[in-house]
Amino acid sequence: MIRVEGLTKVFQDKKRGAVRALDQVSFEVKPGEIVGILGPNGAGKTTALRLLATVLKPTQGTAVVAGYDIVREPEMVRSRIGFLSGDMGLYGRLTPREILAFFGRLSGMEPAALKRRSDEVVSMLGMAAYADTRTDKLSTGMRQRAAIGRTIVHDPPVLILDEPSYGLDVPTARLIENFILEARRGGKCILFSTHVMEEAEYLCDRIVVIHEGKVRITGTMEDLRAATGKTRLREIFLDLLNIREEPMEAKA
Amino acid sequence: MKPAVVFTVYRKELLEMTRDRRTLISMVLVPIIAIPALLGVATFFVSSSQKQAEQEALHIAVARQSAMPGLERALSAAGFKLTPSADPRGAVERKQVAAAAVEGQSDKGEPVVRLYVDASRPGSLVAANKIRAALDGLKAAAIREALAGSGVPEKVLTPFGVEQVDVAPKGKMAKSLIGGMIGYMVILLMFSGCMYPAIDMTAGEKERRTLEILLCSPAGRNEIVLGKILAATTAAFLTALLNVLSLTWAFQSGMMGPEMHKLLEGVHINASAVLLVLVAVFPTAVTAAAVMITISLFAKSFKEGQSYLTPLILLVVFPAMIGMMPGVEAGPKLALLPVFNVTQLIKSIFTGDYTLSSFLLPFASNLAYAAVAFVVAVRIFKREDVLFRS
Repeated sequence: MIRVEGLTKVFQDKKRGAVRALDQVSFEVKPGEIVGILGPNGAGKTTALRLLATVLKPTQGTAVVAGYDIVREPEMVRSRIGFLSGDMGLYGRLTPREILAFFGRLSGMEPAALKRRSDEVVSMLGMAAYADTRTDKLSTGMRQRAAIGRTIVHDPPVLILDEPSYGLDVPTARLIENFILEARRGGKCILFSTHVMEEAEYLCDRIVVIHEGKVRITGTMEDLRAATGKTRLREIFLDLLNIREEPMEAKA
Repeated sequence: MKPAVVFTVYRKELLEMTRDRRTLISMVLVPIIAIPALLGVATFFVSSSQKQAEQEALHIAVARQSAMPGLERALSAAGFKLTPSADPRGAVERKQVAAAAVEGQSDKGEPVVRLYVDASRPGSLVAANKIRAALDGLKAAAIREALAGSGVPEKVLTPFGVEQVDVAPKGKMAKSLIGGMIGYMVILLMFSGCMYPAIDMTAGEKERRTLEILLCSPAGRNEIVLGKILAATTAAFLTALLNVLSLTWAFQSGMMGPEMHKLLEGVHINASAVLLVLVAVFPTAVTAAAVMITISLFAKSFKEGQSYLTPLILLVVFPAMIGMMPGVEAGPKLALLPVFNVTQLIKSIFTGDYTLSSFLLPFASNLAYAAVAFVVAVRIFKREDVLFRS
């Protein structure tokens, strides 16, 4: 469902010159599978997700998302993905229902079908009580539900989630986890980036670790354990980045 | 390009605009209430300060002992209240009187009346003008008397008269004044009315992280930016419309004070002139929207967008202000100068002083500017380094 082949992105920076944010990255995500992209800040995770969402164009390589090429058929790709990020990206002056209607219309949904789907999403996410309240008046949890609703209103087969639980409290982060697991049960193809190792360990069928724009390893938790000899994902991650966990005294 | 998608984006932007207090203030409140009210207040102050100056001008000082026959009588006859003073100049400096008239001698030993005035005080200048008029009368009487004594007929002083005939249609000056002022205000407010929505739907969306989500939707970049430009154009045009209507009403209703009302007596601004003004400003509204969208796209936050666009407003004020001035007229070359040409056009529409070609030249050139601004905005909106500037 997502097949990434030699994806490379070079940015031109006035101070640093050509910056290779992503270098020959390849991996795959199948339907009904959750794949997590891990990496430190600046590793290229967000760039990879933006390339797959076609908001950036690759310098080299390509990817096929839901059967469409990201370079040649970007609009077809965008109509088959749902994109969610930790900062939600909600229009504060619109209500959740208006946001669903807006994104549904952009996806080309017919008014009657959109109305049905919108009601279904509102009911499914328990938003009925505040679906007609401006989102800037809602709590974080309510807004996160509205953001999830926006992501799935057009029922996309592929979900691309950029640190979806970033900055959220435990109950709201739990909401995201449940959403991801539910989407997998529905046969969706899910690619998400995170800094929360426990979340990745709990949710992901496979993990892709990126560092300095390159893929360091791809595999299941068992594959990663076998490759590094470590047990916990946090230790595996640091090992792959060649960072040793040192006691505080040693640092002092 | 899918028109339905453009319309969806446009409708969303309009909905957001109507729920944004800043936009509503700059788009609706300022043109409808604030500007006519401010002009009314300004006119009131100008009018009352003129009255105050007239009152102040009545009090002048003269020397305690006057040697010039008839001077005090002439000044009294002109309506002045005279205050004999040992130090007339000091009396003016201390603001005890508006001005002082003191007879004396020039360097050549000739009789002279010296006026002491304080040029920084309007009342003092009014008094000086009135004293001059009174002295001219005194001078003329002395000449008449001398001529009569020598047997020369008085007529010798005026071998012929001068008559001035104003060929301008009745009310043209007043219409030119209104046209100039409305042109200036409309252009200025159109740009400022468009500023907040333009920033909000670009830099504001970046700041609120909604732009990336919108770019991830199936809507194409062309469709998104066209929807945004149309919405910003609507804001600019609506501001212009409300401004034209409220200013026209304010001028005609007499709220600009009795002087302005007297000047405009018998002057009627017809609906077709207002309609034509709205047609004339349309390309400039599109240009304003596209330029502001383009510039604010480079900003990362609303505040940054404001600091980018404020100089643009100042840049617009200058040509608009020159275009407002009475007597300034655009030749064929100046008719191509954006902003200036539209204020000129508005002025000529109000005075009825335009032809098809004098309308079409600035209108077509402004359409061309709008097209260029639109193409630039679309191109900039496709640039990753602008949209994801970090």
